[in-house]
Amino acid sequence: MAVDAAPPDPSPPNAPRVLVSKDLLAGLALVVLATFALWASARLPMGTLRSVGPGAMPRGTALLILGGGVVLSVAAVVKGGTPLGRWSLRGPLFVSLAVAAFAFTIRWVGLAVAGPLVVIVSGAASDETRPVELVVFAIVMTAFCIGLFRFALGLPIPILILPGIVTI
Amino acid sequence: MDTLFTNLALGFSVAFSFQNLGLAFIGCFVGTLIGVLPGIGPIATITMLLPVTFGLEPTGAIIMLAGIYYGAQYGGSTSAILVNIPGEVTAVVTTLDGHEMAKRGRAGAALGIAAMASFFAGTFATLVVASLAVPLTRLALVFGPAEYFSLMVAGLAFAVVLARGSVPRAIAMVLGGLLASTIGTDLDTGAERMTFGYAPLSDGLDFAVLAMGLFGFAEVLRNLEAVEHRDVVKKAIGTVLPTKADLRRSIAPVLRGTLLGSVLGILPGNGAVLAPFASYATEKKLAKDPSRFGQGAIEGVAGPEAANNAGAQTSFIPLLALGIPPNAVMALMVGAMTIHGIVPGPLVMVKSPLLFWGLIASMWIGNLMLLVINLPLVRLWVRLLDVPYRLMYPAILLFSCIGLYSVKSAPGDVLMAAVLAVVGWALNKLEFETAPLLLGFVLGRLMEENLRRALAISRGDPATFVQRPISGALLAVTVLVLLAAVLPAVRRGRKKVFTE
Repeated sequence: MAVDAAPPDPSPPNAPRVLVSKDLLAGLALVVLATFALWASARLPMGTLRSVGPGAMPRGTALLILGGGVVLSVAAVVKGGTPLGRWSLRGPLFVSLAVAAFAFTIRWVGLAVAGPLVVIVSGAASDETRPVELVVFAIVMTAFCIGLFRFALGLPIPILILPGIVTI
Repeated sequence: MDTLFTNLALGFSVAFSFQNLGLAFIGCFVGTLIGVLPGIGPIATITMLLPVTFGLEPTGAIIMLAGIYYGAQYGGSTSAILVNIPGEVTAVVTTLDGHEMAKRGRAGAALGIAAMASFFAGTFATLVVASLAVPLTRLALVFGPAEYFSLMVAGLAFAVVLARGSVPRAIAMVLGGLLASTIGTDLDTGAERMTFGYAPLSDGLDFAVLAMGLFGFAEVLRNLEAVEHRDVVKKAIGTVLPTKADLRRSIAPVLRGTLLGSVLGILPGNGAVLAPFASYATEKKLAKDPSRFGQGAIEGVAGPEAANNAGAQTSFIPLLALGIPPNAVMALMVGAMTIHGIVPGPLVMVKSPLLFWGLIASMWIGNLMLLVINLPLVRLWVRLLDVPYRLMYPAILLFSCIGLYSVKSAPGDVLMAAVLAVVGWALNKLEFETAPLLLGFVLGRLMEENLRRALAISRGDPATFVQRPISGALLAVTVLVLLAAVLPAVRRGRKKVFTE
């Protein structure tokens, strides 16, 4: 739904200038990324034009990104940029936690645990969540996925592993 | 011409087997089922459904994937008409008049005409793909590394111009994608690049992981922040059969849209995105009474839907003939085909003609299936739209995790996607668009390979890119396109197109 994101409105001419704008942060992010890539690829040989080495492409693109980042940051300071706006961390925190929880359990405990975990943890990301409904939903969805992926499609996804007790 | 028909007949003999018809049907059905959910675009849909095809033999799997692809595309139009939420950019135009028609109790007619226009356009575009595939494959033989490199540069330039938002940011994203593509083992020298000794990274980042994290999960996060405003049509859907007057009004727009879409879809760098916009603008200009547009004019649904579908179809051409995916969705299809041991490109037609022509025939069958499935099932899709987002997104996450895990049975991939979700979210916040990054990533390896090969052939003389005529022309196009994008007049026009 990137689609309905309106283009940034140009700030009115006499609005107070913000120093830390979205644009400055964007520029700085590019500078940090490029510097990191330059450091990470520093040991790779550049080679010659005739036989281009493995370091040429990463460092070439990193330098271009660095240039772009500098231009964006300078422009943001000189011309001013759009204010940062509100950043709510709740969504990204719980969604990535949920996905990570799945990653840590799927192989070693199985889908019967990883499934409800991802559904319930991610539920914390929204304030419209209703706990009881979510738990029931988690169980139903997991059962459905086990039936579909493991039994109907035969994918090698572990369902429940309890060391010494069961392994399905 | 004769060979075209023999080839198509060969294709149909493959695709018409009972099993393959069934797979095409299931693919279209589940593709639409997921694609119709508001806020899920084709990228997320295809990633989630990838594991469904794993157990199949390659031809069947590709046929089913094609079905999923069309289903996801069509599902996007359905949610555009009924909920005013386009699944992806190409369905934006459909919201303008399609949703307006739905508000006036004519949702059925809008969905019906969209399906019929798509079917017609799909049929025509399939013939275009079939007849251009052979000559273009020959063109591929003329293409050396320098030409391939320049073609991809031109494609990326188009992608930059077609991205919404600022041009410098889009360029930075393309470069970011190129940079990300260099992670992993260098194919020429075997050197480990930016892997930090972490073994799973030595194969490079996986496209499905990158796409799901940066695009799919980030989309969920964006939807979570937006105050839910779902404008589900409460009015009756009405009959899906358009009236005679509707049909009369739609015929010309469908024909024009089909042509526009077929041509624009072939362009590298996601030209297909332009097709529905161009078609809408054309119809509005040609209409006797332009004020009807935006008020539920059926031409505003028929033309763009035809253009959209024709473009979706012909964007297979750069992939099948040259092995270059023109957009992120196609790149995902490449990934899927690679899992099944098929590397898309000019060799597929020669090496496995059954698969190639079977795929083309199944494109048409996929379109037919959509018509057959969607008209009677519209009411089921409407029901799906009532699922609240608070339940939808945990389910999306669950399916996505299973999808990501089952590609390689690697929990590390899932973890990587979790990290990328935060990165994608931050990029969105800073007004960076991730689509150009994905395209840069996809083309990165091919570009580097061809750049190095071209320079080796020319003995280190970079002038080779300009001196070879085709390559030089492509680079000239690139410069023109980029210059045009920063010219103030065009910039304003571009803004208008995307905000309209």
